[in-house]
Amino acid sequence: MENRGSNTPSISPAAVVVAAVFLLVSVIGINWFTTFVPVVLPEQASAESKSVDELFYILMIIGGVVFFLIQGMLLISVIAFRARPGDEGDGPTYHGNPLLEIVWTIIPALVVVFLAVVSFNIWTQNTEPKAAINMVEGQSISINVTGARYAWTHQYVTERFDPDGNQIVINSGPELHTYIGQNVDLTLQTQDVIHSYWVPAMRVKQDLLPGDPRRGGRPTQLRFTPIRVEDRSYPARYPIVCAELCGDGHGRMQGTVIVYEDESQFLDQFYEPAIYAILNPPADPVLRGEIEIQNYICNSCHILDSLGWTSTTGPSLNGVADRAGERVPGQTAEEYIATSIWNSGAFRVPGYDQQMAAFGPDVMEATNVMSPEQLYSIVAYLCTQGEQSDCDMENASAAIPDAIQTVFGYEVDITFGMEDDEDEAMLEADAASDDESGASG
Amino acid sequence: MTSYVERQRKTKLGRPSEADLRLKNNRLGMTIFQISWIMVFLAMIIVNWQLRFSYSDWPPAGVAPFDPLLPSAATVALLLSSLLVKRGLQALRQGRIGGFLLDWRGAMVFGFAFLAAIIYEFVSVSNAALATQYGITMRLMTGFHFVHALAILAFMAHVIRRGAAGSYSGDEHESWAVEGTAKLWYFVTLAWILFYIVLYWIR
Amino acid sequence: MATIAVPLGGQAEQQEAEAVRRPALSDYLRWSVDHKIIGVQYGVSAFLFFIIGGAMAMGIRLELWTPELDLMVSGAAYNSLFTIHGTIMIFLFIIPMWAAFGNFVVPLQLGAKDMAFPWLNAFAFWLIPPAAVVVLLGYFVSPAEAGWTSYPPLSTLFSGDGQTLWALGAHLLGISSIMGSINFIVTIFNMRPPEMTIWRMPLLCWAVLATSIIAVMATPFLAGALTLLLLDRVAGTTFFDAAGGGDVLLWQNIFWFYSHPAVYIMVLPGMGVLSEVLSVHSRKPVFGYRMVGLSSMGIAFVGFTVWAHHMFTSLQPELRIPFMITTMIIAVPTGIKMFSWLGTIWGGKIRFTSAMLFALGFLSLFVIGGISGVMLAALPFDIHVHDTYFVVSHFHFVLFGGSVFAVYAALYHWFPKVTGRMMNERLGRIHFVFTYFGFLFTFFPMHVVGMLGMPRRVAVYVEAFQPWNQLISLSAFVLGFSTFIVIYNVIKSYYHGPIAGANPWRALTLEWQTTSPPPPMNFDDDPIPFEDPYGYGTEASAAYLEVVDEAFGVRSNRAGEH
Repeated sequence: MENRGSNTPSISPAAVVVAAVFLLVSVIGINWFTTFVPVVLPEQASAESKSVDELFYILMIIGGVVFFLIQGMLLISVIAFRARPGDEGDGPTYHGNPLLEIVWTIIPALVVVFLAVVSFNIWTQNTEPKAAINMVEGQSISINVTGARYAWTHQYVTERFDPDGNQIVINSGPELHTYIGQNVDLTLQTQDVIHSYWVPAMRVKQDLLPGDPRRGGRPTQLRFTPIRVEDRSYPARYPIVCAELCGDGHGRMQGTVIVYEDESQFLDQFYEPAIYAILNPPADPVLRGEIEIQNYICNSCHILDSLGWTSTTGPSLNGVADRAGERVPGQTAEEYIATSIWNSGAFRVPGYDQQMAAFGPDVMEATNVMSPEQLYSIVAYLCTQGEQSDCDMENASAAIPDAIQTVFGYEVDITFGMEDDEDEAMLEADAASDDESGASG
Repeated sequence: MTSYVERQRKTKLGRPSEADLRLKNNRLGMTIFQISWIMVFLAMIIVNWQLRFSYSDWPPAGVAPFDPLLPSAATVALLLSSLLVKRGLQALRQGRIGGFLLDWRGAMVFGFAFLAAIIYEFVSVSNAALATQYGITMRLMTGFHFVHALAILAFMAHVIRRGAAGSYSGDEHESWAVEGTAKLWYFVTLAWILFYIVLYWIR
Repeated sequence: MATIAVPLGGQAEQQEAEAVRRPALSDYLRWSVDHKIIGVQYGVSAFLFFIIGGAMAMGIRLELWTPELDLMVSGAAYNSLFTIHGTIMIFLFIIPMWAAFGNFVVPLQLGAKDMAFPWLNAFAFWLIPPAAVVVLLGYFVSPAEAGWTSYPPLSTLFSGDGQTLWALGAHLLGISSIMGSINFIVTIFNMRPPEMTIWRMPLLCWAVLATSIIAVMATPFLAGALTLLLLDRVAGTTFFDAAGGGDVLLWQNIFWFYSHPAVYIMVLPGMGVLSEVLSVHSRKPVFGYRMVGLSSMGIAFVGFTVWAHHMFTSLQPELRIPFMITTMIIAVPTGIKMFSWLGTIWGGKIRFTSAMLFALGFLSLFVIGGISGVMLAALPFDIHVHDTYFVVSHFHFVLFGGSVFAVYAALYHWFPKVTGRMMNERLGRIHFVFTYFGFLFTFFPMHVVGMLGMPRRVAVYVEAFQPWNQLISLSAFVLGFSTFIVIYNVIKSYYHGPIAGANPWRALTLEWQTTSPPPPMNFDDDPIPFEDPYGYGTEASAAYLEVVDEAFGVRSNRAGEH
C-alpha cells in the first residue's frame, strides 16, 4: 500500500550498458533521420525555404530524440519486463516519483518555449514586409493573383502606358514570372470559394478569401524571394498548387512559377514581349480572339483541344461552331455564342449545371470585365472552332457585330479603336490577316 | 484489515436514498445542461460580434438603429415573470398550492407579453436593416431565443395544469417538474438579458 | 486473510461453467434503458459504421492508385466520398464508440446500478440511427462534397442538397453527444460509492469526465455553426456570404472552436483505456496517478484555446502567433501521459495479451502523431505542410494509431466482461501484427508525399508521387483486411470463446467484481471498491482478489497467456 521505493530498479551495470547503447542508437538514428531532410522536401527555391527547412531540421532533431527515447524505453520494457512463463505475480507497487514527474513536465515545457521562440523568429523574419517589392525596371509594380474554380490567373499591373494613357496590364494566366532576388509580393483574390495558393518549392501558402466585390474584396498577401538553386538551368519552373478544397477540379487547379536568372532575362523573355503583344495586337478578330480568350478563366472549366484545355466541368468547346446554330431555334450561331458568354445563365447544355461566371462590360469582378470589342474577337475565334462552322465566316466582321447589337444593344468598333490614328499600319496588318483568316477558315 | 467491515457498515448508512439521489442527479444535470446550452447563445453573440467587423459602422451606414424602448419594456416583463416564477416556487415549497398557481399564471401572462413584444420586434425589422447583418443577426438571435421561450412557456402551462390537478406537494422530491421548469425559465431570462445588451446597447 | 469480510455481498452465485447468462441478441435491437445493453448498441452500431467508413477509405485508396481519375466519374464524386468517410469516422464511429465503452464500463467501475439518467441515455443512443440515415441519405441524393469541415462558401453556395442533410444529421449527432455527456458527468460526480473519492476513481472515469466536460462546453458551438449553415442554405441568410456582409472565417472560427476540442473528445477516452490496460496487464500501479488524471483536465482546458491553428493560412498573420504557442503547450500534458505510461510498464510484469499489444501499439504510434503535432504547431513549417498529406498522416496517427488502437485494446480487455467469454488471443495477436504494420506503412509515407507537395483532398496528383501512393494503397488494403480478423474473432468468441469468469485479468477496478456479464442491476449488493484502483503487488490487493475469486469461482484459463 505504501510506496515501496526500494522496489524500483536501481542502477546496475546492465542499465548503464543499455543506456549507452540507447544513446548510440539515438545519435546514429537522428543523424540518419536528418539525412532525409533534403529528400523529403522540395528544392529550396526561396529565401524563406532556407529558414523553414532549418526549423524542420531542428524539429527533426528534437522529434528524433523523443522518438528514440520513447520507442527505446518501450522496447526495453517489453523485453526486460515481460512476465516469465509461470510467473503469476504482480509487479512492484510503485506509485510514482514526484521528482521524475516534475522533470518530465519541466523539460518538455522548456523545449516548447525554445521551439516557440525559434518559430516566432523565423516567422517574423519570413513575413516582414520588404522595402522594394515586385521591382521591375527600378519601379515597384503590383502583381495580382486571381483564383477561380479551377484556375489561377496572374496579372502584372505595369508602370507602362499605352498610347491612350491606359496602364498596361499583362495577363500571364496560370504562370507567375519572377526572377532571382525579386521580392515577390502577391495580392491574392478569389472569385468564388476559398482557394489556397501554395508554392511547395518556396514553402509559402496563403488562403484566398471571398470578400464583397463592392468593397474591394478581401485581398490577402503572399511574400517570398526566389533564390538560385544549384544545378538548375534557368528559367526554372516550380508548381503552384491549390491546397484548399474548392470543388470538382480542385486537384487540377495548378499553375507554374517561372523563375528567371536575373531581371534582364525576365525582361527579355517575358515582360517586354508581353507588353509588345499588348501594344501591337493583331487586327484580325480571330487572332485577337485567340489571345483574348486566354486572358479569361474559360480554361478552368472547358475543353478546347486547339489551346490544350482539359477541364471537364463545363461543356466542351471543341466544334462549338458546328453546334451553335442548331442549339436555339431562331438564333444564329453568332447570337448563341455571344449570349452564352455574356449572359451565361441563358442556356444550359444538358448534363451540366449552370456554374459559369458572368462576363460583360459592367460585372463586378475586374478579371471578368469584357468589352463588346473583346466579345467580338472571342466570338470570331470560337466561330473557327468547328469543321463546318454555322457562323457566317465570309462576313464575320458584319455578322458578329450585328449579333451583339441584336442581343445586347452594344455598338462594336470593329477596328478596335485603331482606325483614327494609324491608317497605314492598319491597312498592312489587315492585308496580312486576311490571308491568315482565309487559310484558317 | 477489519476496517472493511466497518467501512461496509458505514457505507450502507452513507449511501443516499434512491429519491435523494434522483433529485441530486436532476439538479446537477440541469446545471450542466444550462452551462452547456448557454454556449449556443454565446456562439450567436460571437457571430454578431464577428460580423460587426465586416462593417465600418454599427449599425451599418444608412440603417437606423433599433429603438430599445419596446425591447426594454419586454425585458422588464420577462424579469417580472421570472420573479413570479421564483415566488411561486417558494409558495409551493411552503405548501401553498394556491399561491403557486396564482404566481405562475401571472408569470405566464408576463411571459406572453414578452413574446408578443419580441414577435413585433422580429417582424418590424426594416428592409434596410435586413439587407445587412445588423438585421439578419438580430432576427437570428431573437428568433432563436423565441423558440426556447415558447417551448418553456408550453412546459409551464403543462406544469400549471398538473399543479391544479394536485400532482405536486411542498416536498422537493415530489415537485422536480416545477423546479426544473422554473430553472429553465431563469435560463431563458438570463439568455435574453445577454441578447438584449448585445443587440440594443452595445454599439 | 480469513478476517476479510466478503467485499461483494455473500450471495453472489457461482456461475455454471457451461452457460453464460447474457441478454438475448434480440434485446439489443429494442429500446432498453440498461446501460450495458445501450453500451453494446453503441459499440456494434459504431463498429458497423467503422466498416462502412473503412470501405470508403479503401475506395479512396483505390482511386489514388493512379494519378488520374479512373475509379470515380469526377472529382466531385471523389470529394463526396472522402467527405462522407470523414463524417462517418468522426461522428458515427469514434465518438459513439467511446460512448459505448463509457456506457458499459463507467457505471460498473463506479459500482453504480446504472447511469444517472437511464432514459436519456437510451434516447441519446436512439438519435444516432435516424441521424445516420439522414447523413447517408444525403450521400445518395446529391452528396455533400465540401469535406467534413464544410467550409463555406463551398458548402453553402456551391453544394447540393446533400449538404443540407449532412448538416441536419450532424446536428442530431451533436445533440446526442451533449445528452450522453451530461449523463456521464452526473453519473461520475453523484454515483460513486462514498469511499471512492475523486482521487480513487479509475482513470477511465477521469478521462470520460474530461471528455464529457469538453463535449458539453464545445458541442453547442457546433450546433450554433450548423444552425447558421442551415439557415444560409435554406433560408437565404448571408452569414457566410461576403456579398451579403457575411464572413467565411466566421464558420472556421466557430466550427473549429468545437472541432478542435472534438479531437480530444475522440482521443481522451482512449488515453483512459490505456491507463487501465497498461496497469492491469503489467501488474503495476499507474505511475503518477494524479498527474495522469489532471493532465486529462489540462488537455481539456488548453484544448479550448488552440482552435485557430487550423486557420494558420487564413487567419490574419498577427493572430497566428498566440495560437502557435497555445498549441505547443498541449504537448506538455500529453508528454506527462506518455512518460507516466512508460513509468507504469517499466519494471512491471508485462503480459502480452492482445489488449496489451494494442495498448503498446498505441504508445508507439501515438508518439509519432505527437511529434508531427508539435511540428504542425510550429507556424513557419505548418505553412508549408498545411492542408497536405502531412496533415492527413498526422491526424490518422492520432485518431487511428491513437483512438482506434485504444478501441481495439478496450475491445480485447472488456469483451470478457461484456459477453462472458474470452477473445481468441492467437487471432488477436495476428490482428495486431496486420493492423500495426498495415497502419505504419499506410500513414508514415504520407508525411513524405505531403512535404514533397501533394495537397490533401485531391483525386489527381503529379505522377512523381505515384510510387508513394501505391505503397500507401497496398498497405491500406492490408490494414483494411486486418479488420476482418477482428470481426471473425468477435463472432467466433461470442459463441465459442472460453468462459471468462468474473475477473479474468485479476483487475482491481469494480467492473471486474461481478459476474461476466453482470446481472441486470450490475451488483447483487453494493460493492466495496478496493482502496486503490491500481494497487497491484500488495498483500491487501491479493487478498481482495482472492475474495472475489472465491465469491465468483476461479477460471483456470485466466489471462489466456500461460
